Parts: sequence; C-alpha cells; structure tokens
Amino acid sequence: MNKLVQAITDMREEEALRTAKEMLGSGVSPVQVLADCREAMNAVGEKFEKGEYFVSELILAGEILKSISAEVRPHLQQTAQTRQGPKVLLGTVKGDIHDIGKDIVSFMLDVNNFQVTDLGVDVAPSVFVEQIKQLQPPVVALSGFLTLSFTSMKETVEAIAAAGLRNKVKIMIGGGTVDEQVRSYAGADAFGKDAMAAVELAKQWTEGKIHAYENVR
Amino acid sequence: MPTKTFVDPDVGRGPAQLYAERTKRFADVYQLKQPDRVPIQLGFGYMLAEMYGATRQEQHESAARELEMLEKAGSYFQPDSIMGLFNNPAVSLAVGDRMTKFPGHGLDPNGSFQFVEGEYMKAEDYDAFIDDPADWGIRKYWPRVFSELGGIGLLPPLGMATFGVYGLYTLGSLAAPPLAKALRVMAHAVEAQAAADQRAVQTVQRMAELGFGPPTFMGALIEAPFDLMSDTLRGMRGIMLDMHRHPDKLLAAQEKVLRFQLEYAINWCNATGIKVAFIPLHRGSDGFMSLAQFEKFYWPQLRAMQVGLVEAGIMPFVFYEGVWDQRLTYLTELPKGKTTGLFQSSDIFKVKRVVGDTMCIMGGMPNSLLQAGTAQQVRDLTKRLCQEVGKGGGYIMSVGVGEMEGCRPDLVKVWVDATKEYGVYN
Repeated sequence: MNKLVQAITDMREEEALRTAKEMLGSGVSPVQVLADCREAMNAVGEKFEKGEYFVSELILAGEILKSISAEVRPHLQQTAQTRQGPKVLLGTVKGDIHDIGKDIVSFMLDVNNFQVTDLGVDVAPSVFVEQIKQLQPPVVALSGFLTLSFTSMKETVEAIAAAGLRNKVKIMIGGGTVDEQVRSYAGADAFGKDAMAAVELAKQWTEGKIHAYENVR
Repeated sequence: MPTKTFVDPDVGRGPAQLYAERTKRFADVYQLKQPDRVPIQLGFGYMLAEMYGATRQEQHESAARELEMLEKAGSYFQPDSIMGLFNNPAVSLAVGDRMTKFPGHGLDPNGSFQFVEGEYMKAEDYDAFIDDPADWGIRKYWPRVFSELGGIGLLPPLGMATFGVYGLYTLGSLAAPPLAKALRVMAHAVEAQAAADQRAVQTVQRMAELGFGPPTFMGALIEAPFDLMSDTLRGMRGIMLDMHRHPDKLLAAQEKVLRFQLEYAINWCNATGIKVAFIPLHRGSDGFMSLAQFEKFYWPQLRAMQVGLVEAGIMPFVFYEGVWDQRLTYLTELPKGKTTGLFQSSDIFKVKRVVGDTMCIMGGMPNSLLQAGTAQQVRDLTKRLCQEVGKGGGYIMSVGVGEMEGCRPDLVKVWVDATKEYGVYN
C-alpha cells in the first residue's frame, strides 16, 4: 500500500489530500492517483465488511474521495473512465424517503465494480420500469425503511411484471425490517440484511450462478 | 387458528376492573415483577385508518375520528393498552416546519409521516452553539428550519434582550414587521399544540374509562444527546463526519444538550405526575457506529441521562431502534428494575438473556409476521415469546415499533388471544 492509499484507508483526511496534491505536483499521472483512490476505497469496503468500519468511515471516505477528485479533475485530459461491471438499478421505493441504507448499498456495489444507477428516494414503480427498459440491468435493488414500503415494493415488482420485464431482472429488497415474509409478500427474488448481502446477491446473479429465492445472511 | 376451548378472560369484566387489572400488570412488569399475565400493548398507528376506512390525514388531524377508531379496535381486540398515532401536524404546519412531512401536506393523504433530516446546523456553528445554545437556536436555527419564523432572526442577541440597558428598552425592536409576524405565528403555534395536547389527554382518559391501561409511550419526550445533535441539528451525514473531524466539539455540545433535556424531563414529569420519559434512539445501534465510537460518543451520555432520570424518580422508557445485539452488555450498567426497553429488531431472546434482570423488555413480534405470516406461525411465536421472554415477568408483548400499518386484523386477533392464553403465569 502506498502512502495515499494508506492515508485514505486510515481516515487521515488532511494527509490524504496533501499527499494527492504532492503526487499531482510532482508529475504523477492523475489516472494513477484515481487508481490509488479506488484501491483505498476497496480497502475501506473490506474493513466495512469485516465490521471494523461503520457508516461514519464510509461517509468520510466519500468526502476524501470528493476532495481528491476535485484536485485531480484539472489534470485529467478526457480519460475515458468506463466501468466494465454489470449494471445494478437501485432506489428507495415510492412513499419512502429514507436513503442511508440505500447509499451504503450503492457505495459497496460501486467498490465491487458494479455500475450502479441510483434513482434516489420515493421512486415510483413506473420510473423503475422505464429505467429497466432503458438500461437493461440484470439486477434491480429496492430499498425501503417504513413498513409502508413493503406494499410499494410489491407494487414495483408487479409493475415490472406487467411491463413484461420480470424474467429479465433479478430483484432484491432490503432495508429496515425486511425479512423472508416481506420477500415473499413483495414477490422479490431475495432479500438482504445488509450491504454485503446485496453485493453477494448481485455477484451471484451476474455470474450465472443464480440461486433464486435463496436468502443471503 | 385459535384453540377451540379458548375464551377471552377479559370478556364479561367491567371497565373499572379491567383498568385496575391492566394497570397493575404494567406496574408489575416495569418493576421486573411477575404479573398474572403477560400484558400486550397494541400500538396501532395507521392500522386504524386501514381498518376503518379513514385516510391517514384524517387520523392525524381529527382526534374525534381517531378516538372513535380506537374505541372500536379496543372493543374488538381487547389489548391491555392501546395507542393510535402520537403526533398532530398542527404545530408543524403553523411554523412551516421543514423537518416534517405529514399526509396531505406535501404527501399523499395516505402517505406516511416522515422526518426530513438535514444539516440545519453547520459544522461552523458548533462554537456558537456551545457558547449559548438557546441564543444560536432561536436566532439562527429557527429561521432555517421553520419557514414562518424567518423574522425571529431579527431579535437582538438574547443576552441583550434580557439584560439590556435598564431591562426592557430593547423591546421596541420587536416591532419590526417580520419579527412581529414571527411572534404572532409563535402564539398561534402554541395554541395549536396546547389544543392537540389537550385532545391527546382526553383520548387517554376516555380509553382508561373503557378499561384500557395507560399507553406505554406516554411521557416526557427527550432524545439521547447524540441523537438530538444528529436528528434535528447536524443530520446523519454531518454527525458522522463530526466524530472524525470535530470530536471535542461534539462532546461539548452533548454535555449542554444533556443538561437541558434532563431539566425539561424532570419538570415535565413533576408537572404532569406521569413519571416516565420516552427516549427513542436512532444512531447508537449496531449498524451505525463502532463500539469504540459508541463508548465515546453515545453510551456515557445516554447512561448519564437514564441514571439522572431514575434518581429523579422517573422511569426511562427507551426505544432501542434497529439492532442492539452487539452492545446489549452495556445496558446491564443501568439501574436494575428502573427502566424499560422496547426492542425493534434485536434478537429478543438474547435481549432476555442479557438484560432480563436489568430492565423490563417490550417487543418481540415482527410486523412482517402479522402482515404476511400464517395464524399458526403467529401462535407459535407468541407461545415461545411468552415462555422464554416472558419467563419470570418483566415483559410486555408488542411489535418492535410503535406502528402496525399493513398488519392483518385476523392475525392481530390471533396474536392477542394467544398472548392471553400462553401468557398466563401460574
């Protein structure tokens, strides 16, 4: 691990930013600095998985990344940064505006190389349907915290089915008190207890080894 | 399916007798004693509107309609204690509260009440907050959070307004039109809230007359010092960064917050005679912070709050929201038999093992089972909860949250009856 990766991973914010600036100033390629950031984000994700890091570290890591990206941007000459991973469509269902869990899932999917499209909160079933048509993601993740969201999840799954897309996507649900009862009620393929479960499911579903109706964790 | 031989023992008893028995049941479990039967509390929330065809907006705004629904539900289900909703939008609407969204006001009439968290206090505000929370709060925070109180920011510094040269000479500045408007809005908001409080008291009194025990959440509403800083001031994102960037300021602010919340709760309890403080917890659970962060930023302050209440003769009724499985042992540091914990999604059997001789435990029935389970599943879990968590007393049967929207009435009936059947102590 180089100095920048180490500083970010250890949450030393000022040192990380200073190091990134020094690297750019001494001619290190901006692409390399961003690669270091990604390595650090992976390490942060691993620590989160192990239970060493929690929400605050993910948020701080995101802040550090934002500051470094701002430093890097002027040095970048239109380097195409295409992500190769499978697509995941994510959002908090209609009537619910909770975003903490969804944001963590988004972060963890992102560091695991998925291309995440986050539709935000209070997302109507029709918006999910539209986006599935447009992006054709193999995986759809519905988040919700309120007990009301159980019904919205069900309505979303039904809308996807009504549009003839149900067999094109695997649907996971998560958040709050979601469990097997809710999974069955909503008609989703699986539920996850936490962000790691979401990553695990997305990996399973996109590697061809699909275990439908199996719940992780 | 209920056992054929089961007959509800509460049927045929008069309201006065039921009230006495039910109230005694709660009094016993709060003191970790074994009552005659596990008490069950139904916190219906929006389930009332669903059952009786009201909109959620009506349920929030019409105390008469809600009372009518509570009476019907109480008479049918016969729980030991019953509750509907506990918040009325009147005061939020009066001041233009940006932190809350109520059904029919920025939400569908059948939407769910929600809290809109924001970073209403910036990291740069810490020094002013710590120096004088009330002055900063009234002159800077209120205009940010309450759209109708913008003019309140025109107040002179509160120290000056209070002690200014020869006392009241600064009062003239209160005539500035935006400020005068804000003061009128305040007066209106005060009346609206007082009226809502009055109706809530009348509802509780009426349900008591019908034989139902006191609602468990009734008490002085306060928050863990960390949560107060997070929920209404810094927001989740802000507070999480504060633990890394401004740890000392966060701790200093919590000290202030702890002090005025305790004073408020003690005064409230003395004035009303209701010796309970309700403390819903948000950010201290397993997923949100590490044990190291919990030990530094959350638990010492929350423990001090609970100990302070107990010393004043008040029972902290604490909602341990989320999962607390990794940090239950800390709770054993609380005074024995003086607090109650409602557990949302913790492993309730582990909760009993770890804190069963420390506090009265409430919860255990997942909402999802009452929404999508079978009668047999509900009966089986109820039996196990009564036998294991109810063992020796100190247990209140309930769902893990104060809300039963979406639950099926037939399954709720099965659940209540099963509690009365399996919850009897010999």
